[in-house]
Amino acid sequence: MRSDRSIASGPLAGVDVRIKLLVSFGYVLTVVATPLGWWWFFAAETSLLLLVFVLARVSFRELVGRWLGFLSLVALMALAVAVSHPLRPEIGLASIWGTILLKNSLAFGALFTLSQITQHHILLHGLGRLGLPKPLVATLQFMYRSVFILRDEFDRMAKARRSRSFGKKSWGDWSSLAGLLGRLFLRSYERSERVHAAMLARGWDGTVRTLDGADSR
Amino acid sequence: MHIPDGVFESPVIVSTSVLGALGLAYACSRLGDQLRERTIALMGSTAAFIFAAQMVNFPLFPLPISGHLLGGVLAAVLLGPWAGAGVIAAVLLVQCLLFQDGGLTALGANFLNMGLIGSVGGYAIYSPIQRAFGGRKGVLIGAMLASWFAVILASGAFAIELAASGNRADFFRVFGLITLVHAGIGLGEAIITGLVLRVILQTRPDLIGDSVESPARGIKSWGKVALGGFAVAAAVAIFLAPFASSEKDGLEYVGTAMSFLNEEAPAVVASPIPGYAMPGLQNYEGLATATAGLVGTAIVFLAGVSMASVFTSTVTKVALDEV
Repeated sequence: MRSDRSIASGPLAGVDVRIKLLVSFGYVLTVVATPLGWWWFFAAETSLLLLVFVLARVSFRELVGRWLGFLSLVALMALAVAVSHPLRPEIGLASIWGTILLKNSLAFGALFTLSQITQHHILLHGLGRLGLPKPLVATLQFMYRSVFILRDEFDRMAKARRSRSFGKKSWGDWSSLAGLLGRLFLRSYERSERVHAAMLARGWDGTVRTLDGADSR
Repeated sequence: MHIPDGVFESPVIVSTSVLGALGLAYACSRLGDQLRERTIALMGSTAAFIFAAQMVNFPLFPLPISGHLLGGVLAAVLLGPWAGAGVIAAVLLVQCLLFQDGGLTALGANFLNMGLIGSVGGYAIYSPIQRAFGGRKGVLIGAMLASWFAVILASGAFAIELAASGNRADFFRVFGLITLVHAGIGLGEAIITGLVLRVILQTRPDLIGDSVESPARGIKSWGKVALGGFAVAAAVAIFLAPFASSEKDGLEYVGTAMSFLNEEAPAVVASPIPGYAMPGLQNYEGLATATAGLVGTAIVFLAGVSMASVFTSTVTKVALDEV
């Protein structure tokens, strides 16, 4: 989650963020609603997604890496669901499990592409333009800002810890580890409070303006 | 705990999404009234903190899985129940859209379980306990017990959603297994929530608001106590639910899953299995779940009391009075 992260530069990158969001949501809904056993339909959905991968010029190395990590998380839960699935005697365990994994992979691919061809803050912004309530959009935008603050504070605390303990790792010391979490929260909160005050001093009125020419309303 | 796509059938997806959207709309309308300058900064950093904390998994020894913080009660204690739910909604949205963690069609169910039940339900449990103990001690003990019960309630809601998707035959076994796993997650949740809140109560008690200074108070609203009591009762019912199962064939659900794994891939999963075949417990899944509930509640309460003891020691009092 870098603020300066580069996005894939395919022809899809320039499309309005609202269209990207609606098309991806529609695709995921279609995939999830596809009934068990409609293999030709799944094949069509898969080829559509592959076409989008090529058009969007997503990094295949990152895609495969993230996809494998994603599968390892979903596989066990999908198996537990497949084992107790009511249609198991008719269709068979393997195809139920496979279908759940396929649906999840297609949904993953669509949302992964979405997050690769859009700057993250513009994506959150687009949700607001699609009608997400304003307090939630404000929270999202400030959260996005705070994640970097949190990471900076964590780096500072880790550096301070390393320099004081001469690199010795004693994570068994639970009481100090415990204090660390709470202090990390407090420090990043206090810093984001100052950032917020600085934003107010520069005339922030609750609307984040972006260069794509649209304000969050 | 983040439910992926394709687990639920369409009616469950539609109903949880509608319920989640209505809850979110109500939470946002409540937020609009109290949205002040400082609230936004606090909501943003709380959301960022919970987002980061959820990336850290703690192992659920002896089970071969791990859990992570849900954070609903932590957010509710810092910000109030509805703002807490809003924070969880923001975390879930970012995880789903930017990091593909948790399915888009399960977003409603995830928000229902972790945001509405986790934050609003958790606060309903927290509030009367906090009032009963009073002060910072009450905040800590109340928040820890509420986190524990909220995780159990969320896991029960997940089991019900799963059953409504058609997995009824195995309902009580799935229910028991999910609850057992979440008893472990609930302990981690309670401890982490307690640790974070303890530091905040020691250094910046003003963030938690006026409830910190007030001594133990009597009951103000019986309605709220009833709501909290109802939530606790529901959590207790979840622990006792496996008793209602007519088949007492133990951890058969796990057995089914694991024996399947055994046939297909013996090398990978052979080691964790002996942990399940605890002699004596094999045929008493209901007993195991109920015991987990009882023991877990006792552990969380004792941990809360011992962690809160720091607030009654004279040293801390003097130090804070001088500030």
